[in-house]
Amino acid sequence: MIVAVMIGTQTVTGQSPAGTEADELAKLKKQIAELAEKVRILEQKHELEVKEKETKSPATAELDQKIKILERNAELDKEAAAEKSKQTPKVSLDSNGLAVSSADTNFVFKLRGGFQVDGRFYPGDSLAKDTFLLRRVRPIMEGTVFEKFDYRVMLDFASGLSSSTFNNANLVDAYINYRFLPELQLQIGKFKEPVGLERLQSWNNLLFIERGLPTFLVPNRDTGIQLQGDIGSGLFQYAVGAFNGTADGGSSDFDTDSDKDVAARIFTHPFKHSGIDALKGLGLGVSGTYGQHEGSLRNYLTLGQQQFFTWFTGAGTNAATRNVAADGTVWRISPQVYYYWGPFGLFGEYVISSHQVTRTAGATPTHATLKNSAWQVAASWFLTGEENSYGRVQPKQNFNPANGGWGAWELAARVGALNIDDDAFPLFADPNRSASGIFSWGVGLNWRLNRNVKLSLSYEHTDVDGAAGNSAPFKENHVIFTRAQFAF
Amino acid sequence: MKTKTIRRQFLLVLLALGCGALPSLLWAKDLKLLNVSYDPTRELYVEFNAAFAKHWLIKTGDKVSVQQSHGGSSKQARAVIDGLQADVVTLALAYDVESIAERSKLLPVDWQPRLPNNSSPYTSTILFLVRKGNPKGIKEWDDLVKPGVRVITPNPKTSGSARWNYLGAWGFEYLRTGKDEAKAKDFLKQLYKNVPVLDTGARGATTTFVERGIGDVLINWENEILLGAKERGAGKFELIVPSTSILCEPTVSLVDKNARRHGTEAAAKAYLDYLYSPEGQEIAAKHYFRPQNKEVLTKYAKQFPDMKLFTLAEIVGDWQKTQKTHFNDGGIFDQIVQK
Repeated sequence: MIVAVMIGTQTVTGQSPAGTEADELAKLKKQIAELAEKVRILEQKHELEVKEKETKSPATAELDQKIKILERNAELDKEAAAEKSKQTPKVSLDSNGLAVSSADTNFVFKLRGGFQVDGRFYPGDSLAKDTFLLRRVRPIMEGTVFEKFDYRVMLDFASGLSSSTFNNANLVDAYINYRFLPELQLQIGKFKEPVGLERLQSWNNLLFIERGLPTFLVPNRDTGIQLQGDIGSGLFQYAVGAFNGTADGGSSDFDTDSDKDVAARIFTHPFKHSGIDALKGLGLGVSGTYGQHEGSLRNYLTLGQQQFFTWFTGAGTNAATRNVAADGTVWRISPQVYYYWGPFGLFGEYVISSHQVTRTAGATPTHATLKNSAWQVAASWFLTGEENSYGRVQPKQNFNPANGGWGAWELAARVGALNIDDDAFPLFADPNRSASGIFSWGVGLNWRLNRNVKLSLSYEHTDVDGAAGNSAPFKENHVIFTRAQFAF
Repeated sequence: MKTKTIRRQFLLVLLALGCGALPSLLWAKDLKLLNVSYDPTRELYVEFNAAFAKHWLIKTGDKVSVQQSHGGSSKQARAVIDGLQADVVTLALAYDVESIAERSKLLPVDWQPRLPNNSSPYTSTILFLVRKGNPKGIKEWDDLVKPGVRVITPNPKTSGSARWNYLGAWGFEYLRTGKDEAKAKDFLKQLYKNVPVLDTGARGATTTFVERGIGDVLINWENEILLGAKERGAGKFELIVPSTSILCEPTVSLVDKNARRHGTEAAAKAYLDYLYSPEGQEIAAKHYFRPQNKEVLTKYAKQFPDMKLFTLAEIVGDWQKTQKTHFNDGGIFDQIVQK
C-alpha cells in the first residue's frame, strides 16, 4: 500500500529522480520570481520615497534662499550705513563745548567760551573801592578748515573794557594758523605775542586771579605774522614774528607808527622724552622783543589793579605840562621756567623792558633809556593729588558729595616785584605820585569743581618802594580777590 | 702713442658715462602712483603693476610702486572728485571718467582721444553664470525675466558693471523688438523684479552668488564670470553665453593735476601706455580681458566666447545721453525699480 502510494505520488510529481530535479528547479524558479517581485516592489517603494523627498526640497531650498537673501541684504544695509556714517558730520556737546566736524574731520567748528565773576576787596583804609565785576565774558569760535587751517575768534564783553583807535578791546583774538607741519606753522592775525610765560597761559588756567607783575611789562595781544613750531612733540618750541608793536601790557590792532616789532621765543622741555619722570615737567626758555616805538607809554598797576606808577603826560609846552613818550628803541627780554611733578607746580619769570623815551617840556626835549624790570616765582600744590600742569587740570573726581567727590583743591603762593628804573625820577615821573617799585606776596586757594567750574580765593600783600612810598596816591597794601569762573 | 691716446679716450668716455649714470644712481627716484580702479580688476593690476615696476626700473632706473584702490566704478569716480589722490583712473566706463573731468577739472574734458581706442586698452562683455546643471534652464536674456528666476546683478547707481548689465538686457530686447523702447523698458522692469540683492559693485555681486549661494544666475563682466567659473567655483557653476551681448569698453586716463602735483606725470603716462604694450595686453588677456592688440587677441581667442556684440551707440547713443536717460535720478532705472 505504502509502495503504491509512493509509486502513485511519484507518478503525480514527476515520478522519477529526474522529475525531482525538475521540481526543485521549478521551485527555485518560483522563489526567484517571488524574490524578483519583492525587489521590484522595494525599488518602487524606494523610488516613491526619493520622489517624495525631492518634491519637499524645493520648498526647503526656497526657504533657504529667502533666509540668505535677507541676511545678505542686511549685510549690505550695514555696509551702506557704515559708509554713510563716514560722510555724516559729527556733533558733540560736552565739557569742551559744542563741536561740529565733517566726517573726515577736515572741517571743524567749535563754540566755546566762559566768564569770570570777580570780587575785589580792599581791607583797611584804601582809596580803591570794593567791587564785584565781570572780569571776562568771552565767547570763542574756533575750528579748522581744509584740515590744516586753524582759526580762532575770541571776543570779550567784560566790565570796564575800553577800546581806542589803536585797539578794539572787545576783539581779543582773531587769527588763522596754517599747520604745514607741526614743526612749521604760520599764524596771521591778532593774538598773544610770544613773550610772557604767564601771559601765554590761558585765561581760564591761571594760578592766581590776576597774572603776576612780570606780565605788566610784556605785550598782550598784537597784530602781525608769526612763524612757529613744535619739534619733537614738545621737546622744543619756537615762535618768531613781526607785529605792530605795543606798549608794556598793551594790546594793539592798529599801528601808531610804521615801525614794527620783532618778537621771538624759544622754549624747551629738555627731559620730556628722557624717561625720568621727575624731570619731564621741566620747561625753560627765553623770549624777547625788539622794535622802535613812538607814542604813549603804559602806566603800571599793582596786582590789585591800582595804578602805582604814571609817566608825565601833558601838552609838553613847558615844564608844568611836560610829556613823556616812547621815542626810539624798545626791547624786552624774559628768561622763564616752569616745573611740574605730580601735584607740585612751580614757575618763574624775569622781564627787563627797556624803552628809549623823550621828555618834552618846551623847546629842548630830554632823552633817556629806561629799563624797568619785574620777576615772579609762584608755586602750587594739589591737595587732592591731581597732576599739576601749565594747562588745564582735570579734577580726579568731580564735585559730587553724594558720590564722595570733592573736586580738585589747590594751594598757591607767590612772590614778585616790579622795579622802575631810578633814572625815571624826577624828570620822567613824579616821585610824589609814583612809586619806584613794589614787592608783593600772595596766597591763594583754587577749587575746581569739575572741568568747567572753578572757584578761587586769594590774598595779595603789596609793599611800596621809593621815596613816594607813603605819599603815593594809593594806599593799597592788602587785597582779597574772589572769582567764580565758568569756562568750556 | 696712438694706443695710449685711444685708451685714454676710452677711459674718458667711460668716466663720462659713469658721471652721467652716477647722478641717476645717486638720485634714483622712488615714486608712488595711485591707480583708482573699478571692482573686478584686482588680480589684473597685481600682475600688471609688478610688470610695470620692473619695466620702469629698467627704463629709467627709478623705482615705482603702484597702490590700488578698487570699488564700484561710480563710487570710485566720486571718491576722486572728493579728493582721493589718484594719479591714474582705470574705470569701468567713459562716463565715470567724464564726470571726474567735468566736476573736478582734474583732467581735461577732451581726455578720451589721448590714448588709443578711445582710451580703452581692453574690452569685455557681459555673460551669465549659473549653478551646475543649470536647474532653471537659462540660455538667453529673456530667461532672466521668467517668474521664479533670481538674478544677481549690482546696482547701476554705484557700479559700472551693473550699467553694462542693464544695457546688455536693454540692448537685447531693444534690438529684438525692432528698437521698441517701451518694450525694452518693460523687459527691464520684469528683470529687476527678479533681482533680490543689489550689491554696490561687481565683486560684491560675485560674492553674493558664488560664496553666499544666492540666486540662480549671475550676470557680470566676462572676466568675472570666467574667473568665478574657473577659480572660485570649479565644478559648481556653468558659463552661459547668450546669443548677443554688449561690447563693454572700460576706459583709462591720467589724472593730470594730481600727477603734476605729485611729480609722477611721466611715470603715470608711461603706466597707461604700458597697458597698450604687448606685455600689458598679454597680462590683460591672461585675466580674461579682451585685448585690443589683434595678435594677442588671436593668441587667446579660445578663452573668449565667440558672440555677436552690439555697441552702446547702437542701442542708446553716447554716455552723456545714456546716463541722462537711464541712470540719473528719475531716469528709466529709477522708474522701473520704483515701488
